[in-house]
Amino acid sequence: MANRRAFMKSGAMAVFATGLGGIPSFIAAAAGERKIIPPYKKAKTLVCIFQRGAMDGLMAVTPYADPNLKLLRPGLYMSPAQTEGKLFDLDGKFGLHPSLGSLSTYFTEGRMAVVHGVGSPNKTRSHFDAQDYMESGTPNSKSTASGWLNRAVGLTGHDATPFSAVSLTAALPRAMQGDHDALAINNLEEFMIQMKGNPLAGNMAANSFEQLYDQTSNQLLKQSGKESFEAMQMLDLKLVKNYTPVSGAIYPNSPLGKSLKQIAMLVKMNIGMEVAFAESGGWDTHFNQGTTNGSFARNLKDFSDSIAAFWKDMEGYQDDVTVMTMTEFGRTVHQNGTGGTDHGRASCLFVLGNDVRGGKVYHKMGALDKASLEDNRDLPVTTDFRSVFGAVAKKHLNVVDTAKLFPGYEGDMLYL
Amino acid sequence: MRYFLLIFIFISLAFSVVEFSTEQRLQMPYRKEGLSEREAAEHLLSRLSFGGRPGEAEKLLSMGLEKWVQQQLGQSLPGTEVEKRLSDFDALSLDNETIVNRYLNAGQVLRMMQKNGTLSRDSMAKLEKADYRKDVLKLMQQQGLKPPQELNRQLFAQKLIRAVYSENQLQELMTDFWFNHFNVSVTKGQSQPFVLTYERDAIRPHTLGKFESLLKATAQHPAMLFYLDNASSGSDNNQMNQRIKKMAPANSKLKRAAGLNENYAREVMELHTLGVDGGYVQADVTEVARALTGWTVRPMMKDGYGGRLSKLQQSRLGKNMATTEGDFLFLAVRHDQGEKTVLGKKYTSNGGLNEGLEVLHQLASHPSTARFICKKIATRFVSDTPSVALVTAMAAVFTQSGGDIKQTMIAMLNSREFWKKEVLRSKIKSPFELVVSAIRATNADLRNTNQLNDWCARMGQKIYSYAAPTGFPDKASFWVNTGSLLNRMNFGLAIGAQRIPGVAVNLLALNNNHEPESIEDALKTYSAILLPGRNQTENINRLTNLVRDESLQSRLDKALASTQSASTTQEDMTGGADMMGDVMARSKGKGKGEGKKIPAMEAAVSGQVAHVVGIIIGSPEFQRK
Repeated sequence: MANRRAFMKSGAMAVFATGLGGIPSFIAAAAGERKIIPPYKKAKTLVCIFQRGAMDGLMAVTPYADPNLKLLRPGLYMSPAQTEGKLFDLDGKFGLHPSLGSLSTYFTEGRMAVVHGVGSPNKTRSHFDAQDYMESGTPNSKSTASGWLNRAVGLTGHDATPFSAVSLTAALPRAMQGDHDALAINNLEEFMIQMKGNPLAGNMAANSFEQLYDQTSNQLLKQSGKESFEAMQMLDLKLVKNYTPVSGAIYPNSPLGKSLKQIAMLVKMNIGMEVAFAESGGWDTHFNQGTTNGSFARNLKDFSDSIAAFWKDMEGYQDDVTVMTMTEFGRTVHQNGTGGTDHGRASCLFVLGNDVRGGKVYHKMGALDKASLEDNRDLPVTTDFRSVFGAVAKKHLNVVDTAKLFPGYEGDMLYL
Repeated sequence: MRYFLLIFIFISLAFSVVEFSTEQRLQMPYRKEGLSEREAAEHLLSRLSFGGRPGEAEKLLSMGLEKWVQQQLGQSLPGTEVEKRLSDFDALSLDNETIVNRYLNAGQVLRMMQKNGTLSRDSMAKLEKADYRKDVLKLMQQQGLKPPQELNRQLFAQKLIRAVYSENQLQELMTDFWFNHFNVSVTKGQSQPFVLTYERDAIRPHTLGKFESLLKATAQHPAMLFYLDNASSGSDNNQMNQRIKKMAPANSKLKRAAGLNENYAREVMELHTLGVDGGYVQADVTEVARALTGWTVRPMMKDGYGGRLSKLQQSRLGKNMATTEGDFLFLAVRHDQGEKTVLGKKYTSNGGLNEGLEVLHQLASHPSTARFICKKIATRFVSDTPSVALVTAMAAVFTQSGGDIKQTMIAMLNSREFWKKEVLRSKIKSPFELVVSAIRATNADLRNTNQLNDWCARMGQKIYSYAAPTGFPDKASFWVNTGSLLNRMNFGLAIGAQRIPGVAVNLLALNNNHEPESIEDALKTYSAILLPGRNQTENINRLTNLVRDESLQSRLDKALASTQSASTTQEDMTGGADMMGDVMARSKGKGKGEGKKIPAMEAAVSGQVAHVVGIIIGSPEFQRK
């Protein structure tokens, strides 16, 4: 851990004690005074959004031209031809759900790609197992200790900062656990030593803690303590507190919207973030899925509007950011008895970035007649998720050694 | 009756004589490593308990260290306090069947409503979520149903309460250790209902018993059978099964091919017994999986196929097809009847249920298992990097005693390595250990544990929720990193300032209701209480200057603010209404010797004490054990 810290060479700790009286928070003094310039050029920030619960890829990006679809899910079928809430036709074969309207421009502009029929070679239909495999990146081995995003940070070939890998979640997701430092922060404003209602005491406590951790005989505590206080300094909390997104970037007031807004702040602070992680829930639509309206449509709109706001907010930084979505599996082609869909196999994902070869639905999808489906029920997995994740990591994070990123994977890469 | 008792005593004596042959005497060579008896007592408290309570080291010294350790190994001290605090937790004694039929998720309730006609499919498609949610809640109330979150709440709470208040501290540590070793997780929906009984019935009774009992109990518990998918593993290599398939109608579910699932078979070797380098190959994984086919869970849902199964079992055919042992079900029709070879050992065909048990016995008795388990125990209780010599010595005892965990623990305590100076305080507390040790050190009264669970999660340990079967890694570098460290400091400040709802701390009571004279005094006093047996002079000197500034500043603030509103200021300073209550009551009742203080002044002093305690609990020294 210690040998990977490049940014700490400055040494001088312009601690928090400066200018105490009256200042509401030590942060005010520390913030913005020291700009830390990493001694390397990072590739990009890869923003990963995990849609937990398994998104119905066939409804998000519908292969409406296949007549089997209407037969198998009559109550859930949508098309570009319908009068109300019609699909946005992508290529005469696939149509985008109207809730994804805010992202459709990016597809048209060629900056967003859709990959359809993506999933895991492991046939599990358990959320838990499928998420576990997708996050560890080893679909046939449960005991892989690290997550693929954590390994990715270690394979960029240069030093890390405390903010190299940040998850905007309460706990570190499986994908980011591992040997390399990764931060889980639910709320950036809480990344400080704090005493609610008594900022001065918090300030003093920070000062005391810093000295104590600096003096401890335990090397790990000493080193991590130092890193923690440096990280606090790097984080421009003034910017966090008074943050105003680019005009026109309107984040939904949802967990995903809030997470992406904070990711935008971190990108703008330029503190070396290379991997960011956010989550979106509510995709397990066994009941009452709905079509143009309903639970799926609402959730998809939040997903779309959050990403669209983030991308708008990234004006001036878009060349340095790539967004990739993922979900553990897809859902049954046929609808079930309760107006929803059950656990299936393949789903779809989105990749957004200025140098993404977008405007295209990448797929190897065959006909959806029952006999061609996996186990007579599910969209078969025709693209291994590792071929997309690996290619994105290679192209957008400069990860060269994809064999280390996805041990055991020998398939092709799908470059977008 | 009396004769029976005599015979019983005779038999147990006879048995204990037999056991004595492998039993070792507790020696604890701390003096050889230059430790005083007091240092040894502090070390024992920090390693064999969740941290001492105030004055507990003195208790150990007066009763004798050996007696204390024997009591801990005996695990039979009365649990009055724990029982009292858990008396309102109605889920803790339930059996699996009651649990799965009482704690239902929204999906299960909806299906139930459809089935009994309370909710029609048509109306469901039209209704918005908010509308039917009311109906769901009503039905749940009527039928005494509860959401799974309530079960989790009680599960989480009991762990904290036992860890804080149990006299049998080692038992709680061992339960935590073995649960993590045989990890299951509430994040997997299928296992979630069974996690509570898993800890209670499969882990807790065996924590210092025989390793093989633990292995068998976990292997056959629904939580593990679902968590690592063995419940769904089956084989078509079975005559009875083939006959049934032939007879079944064309579109019957019985026609489906049964699939082998290797998850449990792999992890039982890699993580539970041999270890990853324990000398098995992929072929062994498949063979173990085949031996365990048919090991599954008895159906327990009222509306499930459980009724049919129990009827079936009454018939002769049924008896051959299925054997239950508690909630474990061996489905003979799904068992692979062929021969198997596990790690070179041959198993003849038609081994049935016994075959799997023999495989577990083989794994439990393997030399790799002895080494793997002993290294893990030594890592937990001695240091992150135990020596090969220590592991070998422990493994020898483990093997000789037939996998007796208690004997293995004694071997560890008898080693000099356990008492080495560089081992003292070399481990970092896990977030859960930090939280529990802080509550114990401050004698806090735990009224509600929810917030503490949140703190554990924020510091990186969401209890019962580690998704991977590896369990939480037991090494300092996993717990100590940038984000979690700040949260540890903030936790210290929060508990010192009484800002954790549900946790009542009376800091002045800790010091016999004696107010510290000065800030130096506060630092000295509370360092001695919270970090007993450590030389804190240097830290105290360093901190005194820093904290003294603060006292000055806060007094100034106080003076300013108190001219506006005394009551709000007090809340700001201490943050806790409870403590304020205490302070106010005392200032009214007793009247301090040095003249009457205004409440705001006292609050300021309490604020300082809170601050000092917060710094100590957030300090590096308190993170170590």
